Amino acid sequence: MTKDTLGTVKEFILAEFLPGEDPNALTSSTPLITGGILDSIATLKLVGFLEETFRIQLEPHEVDADNLDTLAAIERLVARKGRAT
Amino acid sequence: MNTQTSQQGTALIASDTAVSTPSEAGIPRQWLGMFAEVHQARRALVLAVQLGLLALIVRQFRIESTAFLQVCLLAFGGALLQEAIPRPHRLSFFALLSLASIALVFGLRQGALIVASGLALIGICHLPAAFRVRVLVLALAAGVLAALRLDWISGPWSRAVWPILGSMFMFRLIVYMYDLRHETGPKSLARTTSYFFLLPNVCFPMFPVVDYKTFKRTYCDVELDRIQQVGIQWILRGVIQLILYRVVYYYLTMSPADVTNPGDLGRFLVANYLLYLRISGQFHVIVGILRLFGFNLPETHHRYLLASSINDFWRRINIYWKDFMMKLFYYPSFFALRKRRVSERASLVIATLVVFVATWLLHSYQWFWLRGSFPLTWPDALFWGILGLLVVANTLHESSRGRARRLGNRKLTVSEMSGVALRTALTFCFICVLWSLWTAESVSQWFSLWTSAFENGITAQTWHALSVGAAAAGVTAIGASPGARKPQQSRAPGGLMNRTFVTTAAIAALFLVGHPRVYTRLDARLATVMDSLREQKLNRQDAAMLEAGYYENLLSVERFNSQLWELYSKRPAGDANLRDSGGMRQIPTFLVEELIPSLDITFKGVPFQTNSAGMRDDEYTLDKPAGTRRIVVLGPSDAMGTGVLASETFASVLERRLGAHGGYEVLNLSTSNYTPPQHLWLLEHRGFAYSPDAVVLVGHDDDADRASRHLATVMSRSIEVPYQELREFAERAGVTAGMPESEARRRLKPYSDEIVAWTYRRIADLCRERGATPVWVFLPFLVEDRQQVDEALKQHAASAGFMTLDYSGLYRGKDIRSFRVAEYDLHHPNVAGHTLIGERLFRDLSSGVISSRLGLDGRNDSTKGLP
Repeated sequence: MTKDTLGTVKEFILAEFLPGEDPNALTSSTPLITGGILDSIATLKLVGFLEETFRIQLEPHEVDADNLDTLAAIERLVARKGRAT
Repeated sequence: MNTQTSQQGTALIASDTAVSTPSEAGIPRQWLGMFAEVHQARRALVLAVQLGLLALIVRQFRIESTAFLQVCLLAFGGALLQEAIPRPHRLSFFALLSLASIALVFGLRQGALIVASGLALIGICHLPAAFRVRVLVLALAAGVLAALRLDWISGPWSRAVWPILGSMFMFRLIVYMYDLRHETGPKSLARTTSYFFLLPNVCFPMFPVVDYKTFKRTYCDVELDRIQQVGIQWILRGVIQLILYRVVYYYLTMSPADVTNPGDLGRFLVANYLLYLRISGQFHVIVGILRLFGFNLPETHHRYLLASSINDFWRRINIYWKDFMMKLFYYPSFFALRKRRVSERASLVIATLVVFVATWLLHSYQWFWLRGSFPLTWPDALFWGILGLLVVANTLHESSRGRARRLGNRKLTVSEMSGVALRTALTFCFICVLWSLWTAESVSQWFSLWTSAFENGITAQTWHALSVGAAAAGVTAIGASPGARKPQQSRAPGGLMNRTFVTTAAIAALFLVGHPRVYTRLDARLATVMDSLREQKLNRQDAAMLEAGYYENLLSVERFNSQLWELYSKRPAGDANLRDSGGMRQIPTFLVEELIPSLDITFKGVPFQTNSAGMRDDEYTLDKPAGTRRIVVLGPSDAMGTGVLASETFASVLERRLGAHGGYEVLNLSTSNYTPPQHLWLLEHRGFAYSPDAVVLVGHDDDADRASRHLATVMSRSIEVPYQELREFAERAGVTAGMPESEARRRLKPYSDEIVAWTYRRIADLCRERGATPVWVFLPFLVEDRQQVDEALKQHAASAGFMTLDYSGLYRGKDIRSFRVAEYDLHHPNVAGHTLIGERLFRDLSSGVISSRLGLDGRNDSTKGLP
């Protein structure tokens, strides 16, 4: 599950926002929001993707660097929300 | 050293030099502890040197204010001292330092009031009641504070408290409540107190909107050393920006009225935008100081001058504000719309528009707490409206086509780099234009700026200037584009240690460059520039405007001119100008306004009376008593005696001194804001009625500008100009009755010199016709760099036939500030100042040619020893 989540999200981010970039450069700790990869539109696209793919429901206050800044944080968020639902 | 710090030291070594664990390397634990101690001592020493040099630079360049230097010393000392404090108590230590800074700047009483008000607001946030109830109580408390802010009810706060209290709570309370609603972790009084009373806030009414969750999340999240070193870099960067701001403010800014061609327009637009360096500089310094205490906050601005699109600009400038709006408005709006099944694109558009409308309103809300007014202006609405629409358009574009993002610093191709450079240059130009609209007094003034710039078409010289400017912008943009920079890794080969060394060297270099012993050895002109950059003052244009009371009622000064705003913010409550105090009235004649006769009011804290003829003086009969000699004094507010009693003005001092010789009257016809053409009219229609033997006209270095400005005012109000020559000047300048004042001012400005020269000639001619001796006295303002007489002006007065008295050296060797009626008032002398001028005038009038005309031959013996 963990590997799937991380890999799926990574694939989505690479395809959607970083086409042509080296996949190895995107690690589980690469800063996505604070590093400027995810702007507001990209963040909302990612939220839509997470909700649809992992069948979770995010709240506006959860859309921040705490939860979405790295692949690792996203993985934790998905796991937490998955448990909650 | 305790175990904790030892462990931290170990961690620091590990972080910096990748040391193996003890078991791996076989190094005894005590050795490792010793290494850690040495490392920590070295780190503390380097930090002390860096902070010491930064403090010297702050002092050397008089960055911001004296209070800021004190707060810097407190913060820097605290940052060094915290090393000795166990980690769990450091946040409490920071909170205490923050509270101490408030007492340091505001004193115990006012400081206690700020803290008590703040704690009360924080207390409301934590009331044991439902969230909605707490929000309601907070709104009620805000209502009470608003009433106090507007002076509807009186409170014990000084006026200076509001901007600081406002900046601490107006946005942070909103963020705090939002996060409190969703926070699940333990509450901490030290963290909350730190968050609201953030240490350097006491010196900065304009403060970044720090996000509470980020503040909490990033506290000491990596090694303190790393956080601090970035902080040091940002403080240095901020200080450099504040110095650059002075370069722009003192040497590049120009008045809209001075724009006469496209080259001027370009300079005006760029300088106007670059004034923002002050805010970005302050924000860098603020967050830099916070980082010294372990708050690993992100940067507030990211190379905003190099934004390559409107959205990019919005993302780079004032990032904290953007994040605040995203959190409070954008995401909640988007989610709410999505829940109502609104399409994604429509939701994006609406949420973006909500952000910009809210930004517009919240800026006014911010100014309410800072200045007590709630400005909603057209330029403001247009700025945010246009910016909002452009961001929406860009958002739609990016949402459908995506935006190029890169991982790391991949080198761009030449064509990519050229594209970025071109977009960067265009965005910069566009933002300069939009910014000029935002900061314009009115939309009509903004249009007038453009029409006047292109009135005469574009000359070859302008094309040349524009192409040079475009080339410079292109080269800068290319040089600064991401692809042109070396990859991150190669930029910092030695990691933290190297960066620390480079930063320290840069700080030392700035200190040396700013030291008089160094820069005075350079070129003399450069030394003069460096001298000017070492102090905070008004530029010539603002000082002149301030003197004319021009900014009194303009919102723009409160909102965009931080230098003037600071000066104004020092004024006590109720410190209105003479017009607003009921001392002057508008009249539909060439004078435009006049002192109301038989007044008895309080103005600037002192009684202000006028006689039945509207003079700030005793009653005088029109018929001159036999054997009496009369001197009429004409000047603006300083001669009228703003802030001092009528009996304390230099005219009264002169009258008393002359009185010792019997039979002298000095009639003070000086009136606030009057300019040379008004003096002419006043003298002709009222002054000569008193049959003066001498007329003393007070001159200032901005008389020429003020003379043409008055003519512009009169023309714009369609008031008849009673002098043929002045009408001709207006005609030559293309000024017509009813023309917008800003446009008329701009057109008449080139004729300022001729207008004042003619006015002086006319006054002197009339004096001679009436048998009065014309005397022109140059009085310097009460600022160090405005002590020299304008030689051209003096020459005009001399050519016209005035006896000229040049008081350029009046304050030489003295503390000029001690002669001001108030610290914030650069133009009005206090009693000591008036005495100095009056005595000097008496001495000069008692000697030379005029003394015989005034019957004062040989009577200057009593003045020996005077300055």
